[in-house]
Order: sequence, then C-alpha cells, then structure tokens
Amino acid sequence: MYKKGQYRETDKMSDLICENYAMVVVMCRFGIGLGFGDKSIGEACRHNEVDTGTFLTVVNFLIEERKSSYQEGDFAHGSISVEALISYLHKAHDYFLRFRLPLLRAKLLEAITGDCPEDVAIAIATFFDEYAEEVNKHMMYEEKTVFPYVRNLLKGKKDAKYNIAIFRKRHDQIEMKIIELKNLILKYYPGKGSNLLNSVLFDVFATEEDLATHNMIEDHLFTPAILELEKTLKQ
Amino acid sequence: MNINLKIAIAEVSPIVRSGVEVQLKKLQGFRFHFLEIVKTDGLVDSLRMHKPDILIVNPSMVGVLSLQQLKEECGCPQMKCLALLYNLTDKTTLRPFDDKLSIFDSSDEIRQKLEQLFAVEIQEDTTETGEQQILSMREKEIVVCVVKGMTNHLIAERLFLSTHTVITHRRNIARKLQIHSASGLTVYAIVNKLVELSEVGKL
Repeated sequence: MYKKGQYRETDKMSDLICENYAMVVVMCRFGIGLGFGDKSIGEACRHNEVDTGTFLTVVNFLIEERKSSYQEGDFAHGSISVEALISYLHKAHDYFLRFRLPLLRAKLLEAITGDCPEDVAIAIATFFDEYAEEVNKHMMYEEKTVFPYVRNLLKGKKDAKYNIAIFRKRHDQIEMKIIELKNLILKYYPGKGSNLLNSVLFDVFATEEDLATHNMIEDHLFTPAILELEKTLKQ
Repeated sequence: MNINLKIAIAEVSPIVRSGVEVQLKKLQGFRFHFLEIVKTDGLVDSLRMHKPDILIVNPSMVGVLSLQQLKEECGCPQMKCLALLYNLTDKTTLRPFDDKLSIFDSSDEIRQKLEQLFAVEIQEDTTETGEQQILSMREKEIVVCVVKGMTNHLIAERLFLSTHTVITHRRNIARKLQIHSASGLTVYAIVNKLVELSEVGKL
C-alpha cells in the first residue's frame, strides 16, 4: 500500500509511519518521539525543533530506496540542512554502537550458548566482536574526522588538508561482514537452533538492511551536500 | 545460484519504466539492481557513474550517438544493450543492439533473452554449483593456516607453494564458502573440526 510519490509536510506523521514502519527509527533518530497524535509531519517536526526539509528528504530517499531504485537528481540537496543531517547521522551511529549491536550480541550469545559446542560459540562471539569493532572504527572515523571538518565548514573555516572526496574514496561497505555472519549461521551452524536464534537471524537481516541504507544516506545525501558546501565556500 | 545484474532502464515514460521493472523482478534466478534514467541528457553521465551490466533503452533516447560511441563514452564496453520497443522501429536502427525487448514480451520470453545474453556466465555458474562448497584437501590445509594466523607468505613457505598460488586458493575458498574474513573462516574450521580452538591464532 504505497502511497505513490513523495511525502509532504502536510501528510500525517501517523500515515507515514504506518505505511512505512521502518521509518519509526528514522523519526526517533531525528529526535521526534512517539505519541505525536494527529500532527502532520511538518507540525511534528516543528514541535520537536527538527528541520522539516531534511526530515522529508531522508524519509523520501529511504522509501524510494526500498523500492530498489531511485532516479538521479530526484533529491534536491537544497532542502537539506547539513547541521540537521549530521545530528541525524550522529544519533544513528549512537543507535548502532550503543543499542543495536550490543543487544544483538547479547541475544546471539544467549541463543547459541548450550545449543552448539562451546568452542563454536566462542568462535562466533569472537567473529561478532571483530565485526562490531569494524563498525565502531568506521563510525568513529566519521565522528572524529568527517563531522568536525564539516562543522568547521559550516562556520566558514576550510581545512586545507582535508576534503570530502577523501571520505568518499575511503567510505567502505560495512554491511559486508554482517552478511558473512548471516551465511555462517545459515550454512554452517551446528546446533539445533531455536525460536530465539531465528529471531537473532531476523535481527541480523534487519541490521544488514539498516546499515546499508545508512551508508546510502551518507553516500547519496550527505556527501553531495558537503560537495556543494565546499563549492560555495571556494567562491 | 542468483545472478546479480545492474540494469539501467532509459525510458521517458514512468509507466513503461516501472512496468519493465515489475516484469523483470518476477524472474527467478536473477537479482537486479535498477537504475532509472528519465532524460536523454542524463544518459551518458548516469551510465558512466553506475556502469550497468545491461542497458534497456528506448532507441529514441540514444539520439545521434551510435551505440558503440555511447559505450565508449561511458567507459562500459561490456554493457549489453537491449532496445525497448513499443512501436514499429526501423531495422537499421535496431541492428547494433544485442537484443530487443518488446513491451508485449511475456515473462518467459524476457527470461530467455536475458539467459541468452548471459549464457556464458550461467554455464560457469552451473559448473560452480556442481562442485558446490566442498573444499579440496589443499584448500582445507590453507584454511587451517589462515585460521592459525599465518600470513600468505608464511603459508606459501610452509606448503611449498608460490604466494600467488596461495592467493588464488584463498580467493577460491572465499567464493566457495562465501566467507571472506579470517574470523569467519575460524568459525567454519571449528564447526568442521579442521582445528581445535586452542590452535587458533588470536583467540
């Protein structure tokens, strides 16, 4: 039941979320809480001091992406507030590092402990920890290098040694290794399995998708917006 | 075995564009990533940036460029080009295309055309699924070495191979198992009792 076309600020927030439940985390990352009543998207954003243009751009981008295609140039970067986007990305990082991955780890360990041989469980836990560390590194680079650079840009200060093209080049795909975790469990898991382990698998699938779209936002909304910003500063 | 294909659909009409997508998505055995190109002037840039495997294009959008020129300008000489037809089109216009896709084609016809275009790759894939994920003795030895934390160079020395051969083996292992990292191989090796936990490099 896709509403064809893009969401506008006069659409109801509850319609957006009910039609695309995955957007509930996006809303939350922007700092809009539940219990928004019958507010429109614009009202809910203003009520929480969120930049409506950026919220709509991200939401519409993700919904298009879910349909597995989007058109070049569909998203005018003019409607993005870089500050709002950084705050969104920062909260998303926080969500992955402090909530999603620790929870997934705890659930995974609970599901496999006692179900498969102990040495296998240890190897899987090690695999997961290495993976989480990779995600951590990836996101910390953005937090410690990219975001400060952009915040300075916003203040009109340009760093001679850094530019967003460097980020674009080294920005890798962090979802690769979680795909591997999925394969390991699907193909080689030696235990009996359980409802809990199935639920872990669901979480793994969802996390994979979530990380992939997070990267898409960085590559297709964030990076182009910074490129624009760099250009205007040069002039 | 799924074949991953990146498909660009260059067509002005949104109805036709999404119709083509919907039909393609129904085909089993393929995984598509779609790119929609809606305007003639975006064609070259989009192709250059995304380098699709297949271009399904309304011939009128190619314009004055020949297909050959188009492929060269975009830097994708391997790209297959299908003409998207919904009316009668001159034969000379169609000759340079790899194949034609009519909007009246059935799913089966579309599948046949795609399979023909990628016949070589599909054959390769079936031989691959024939050997499945079973590792050779040599490959198992290499997995054990990797899991113990040895470098390619060390592995080569230990097994009397060239480093180059070790790399080839590792690539084959990654392809067969769909596991690329050392820690992933560790899980595999322990599950299959190739090593003991105590022998593993950094645990």
